[in-house]
Amino acid sequence: MTIAQILALVIFVVMFVLIVLDKIERQYVTLACGILTLIFVFGVAMRDVDAIMETLNIKSIFTLDFWHVSGEASEESAGINWATIIFLAGMMVMVEGMAKAGFFRWLCLRLAKLVNYKPIPIFIAFMILSAILSMFIDSITVILFLAAVTVELAKLLKVDPVPMILADVFCANLGGSATMCGDPPIIIGTSLGYSFSDFLKNTGVIAVVSLVVVVIYFFIIFRKQVLPQDGYVVNPEEVPDPKDAISSKKEFIMSCIIFALAVVLLISHANTGLTVAFIGTFIAIVTLICFAKDALTLLKKVDYNTLLFFIGLFMVVGGLEQTGILNIIANFIEDVSGGQIKPMIAIIIWVSAMASAFVDNIPFAATMVPVIQTLSSTAGVDLETLAWTLSMGTDIGGSATPIGASANVVGVSVAAKNGHHIGWGRYCAASAPATIIVVALSMLMIYLRYC
Amino acid sequence: MSKQFIVSIGREYGCGGHSIAEKIAKRFNLKLYGSNMLEEIAAEKGSSIDDLAKFDEKPRNVLFSRSVGDFSNSMEKSVAELEFEFMKRKVSEGESFVVIGRCSDEILDDQNVEVIAAFINGDTKDRINRISEGLGISRGDAEDKMEQADRKRRAYHDALCKADWGDADSYDICLNSSKIGIEKTADLLEQYINVRLSM
Repeated sequence: MTIAQILALVIFVVMFVLIVLDKIERQYVTLACGILTLIFVFGVAMRDVDAIMETLNIKSIFTLDFWHVSGEASEESAGINWATIIFLAGMMVMVEGMAKAGFFRWLCLRLAKLVNYKPIPIFIAFMILSAILSMFIDSITVILFLAAVTVELAKLLKVDPVPMILADVFCANLGGSATMCGDPPIIIGTSLGYSFSDFLKNTGVIAVVSLVVVVIYFFIIFRKQVLPQDGYVVNPEEVPDPKDAISSKKEFIMSCIIFALAVVLLISHANTGLTVAFIGTFIAIVTLICFAKDALTLLKKVDYNTLLFFIGLFMVVGGLEQTGILNIIANFIEDVSGGQIKPMIAIIIWVSAMASAFVDNIPFAATMVPVIQTLSSTAGVDLETLAWTLSMGTDIGGSATPIGASANVVGVSVAAKNGHHIGWGRYCAASAPATIIVVALSMLMIYLRYC
Repeated sequence: MSKQFIVSIGREYGCGGHSIAEKIAKRFNLKLYGSNMLEEIAAEKGSSIDDLAKFDEKPRNVLFSRSVGDFSNSMEKSVAELEFEFMKRKVSEGESFVVIGRCSDEILDDQNVEVIAAFINGDTKDRINRISEGLGISRGDAEDKMEQADRKRRAYHDALCKADWGDADSYDICLNSSKIGIEKTADLLEQYINVRLSM
């Protein structure tokens, strides 16, 4: 191994350990490690200014392809994936506008009212809502609102909110895997130049089938726990009126229109050629114009820490990529699988799932994208197949434990803040079997469709 | 006494901090909060007190917990936040009280109230004797228990506060209960509180 490779690997391992230890905020960890990568790996060891420029990747923002793709989408270059950053920032602005208007709370309460506040139908409806919303909005936001309303309703319905929260979190992660709005899929999609509809037609199909299985699974294991013990039936008048959730009718209508616009733009972006960076920017501008009075507040509420986390992460992974460390991993997978696609899929999906269950699945996915690119070119296997495999493995694997994905942490935290304890035992007892079922199902569907 | 104030008592394990806090609460006719605040929290949230008590004043498990912004799956952190919220609400309701540990030396800093932060420590030998006699265990077991409890309190406090646990800079007054005994330590602390309140 060269000095540059050793340095890149050490920085990466230190970053991962610091993220796991959670002593220092993760955005500072990735940014500091990213800067160390630029200085020591590229500057001192490689003496390669081009590698620094490629990793910073700022030039890409000023190309037409960054905003509009006229032909077939191409793979992004290495380094900071600005398309992901800009798209996430834009969607964050939109989500803040929707939250301010009361959209999410209204939607949850409206749905509960629609099923006459009956616990089992609410339980099932919220799982489906969680999956559908997560196809377009980040799963953290979805769970933040859904878990809060679940706790509130559970108190009124006199049922335990924990089973509902666990099921909602799982479905939010599953919904995110269906499109490129989910946590790891956005990195995989933008890095490899895939569109929203590419995901929908591939991982989307797997996610829909899995959702049916998961809804049945959670119904079977939780059907008794989500019923009130003494057959209590809530008086609908005691439940907050969905209309009360709306802070301003005008803003609510505007946020509904903006959300619909974002969905249409995302679904059609393969045809229109508009990139996710363009869509994110456009949606943010429209939101800021419509909410002009509160534009500054919305901008302040954007989760800049997550964006900085991504920027630092891309720099560190850029170090691994430029020094060829990821080629070593790719060659290892190729050797173990004998260059055959089926063992390769099995290794990627199960290793990704297991790793994502215990470490943050975003850095893992970011690291694995260049690995599958190398595997595809050296072993001659279809890159798309590996991309869908990686998406399902990282996204679903993250559902197995309370720390695997951000939505899990938020769901558990919202429950805890309301006095409901969800320990590792209770979480894993419900979600780990569901994860194994969905990963196995995904692998089977990938085998049947692509091999 | 009309002026609202909070007496925060940090303590090493086995130095009689709890007894001193009880005496101070009695002398100033104040409510004493410690683990008992969980009873009110559990009743309010409709949760089991045993579920909450397991995580009271304990540091989070580094390997099994993760944070996302202000959210964490650590129950230890969530219980701590519920207690902070509880204390702040009591302050906003105008209540004066004595509170044992739970980062109260720092967590109420942003509240518009006079916080008198004390730390009680003791000589190792004396603390081991007290633990051993109080719990009816051997001196060796008492020493292990003392070290473990102090380590946990330090980790809990330092993870949630800027200041260091037991560091004189973090408190208004530090007293060693081994030198003058529980009663006289309480007397000294009472005098200090009276001086502070008269200013």
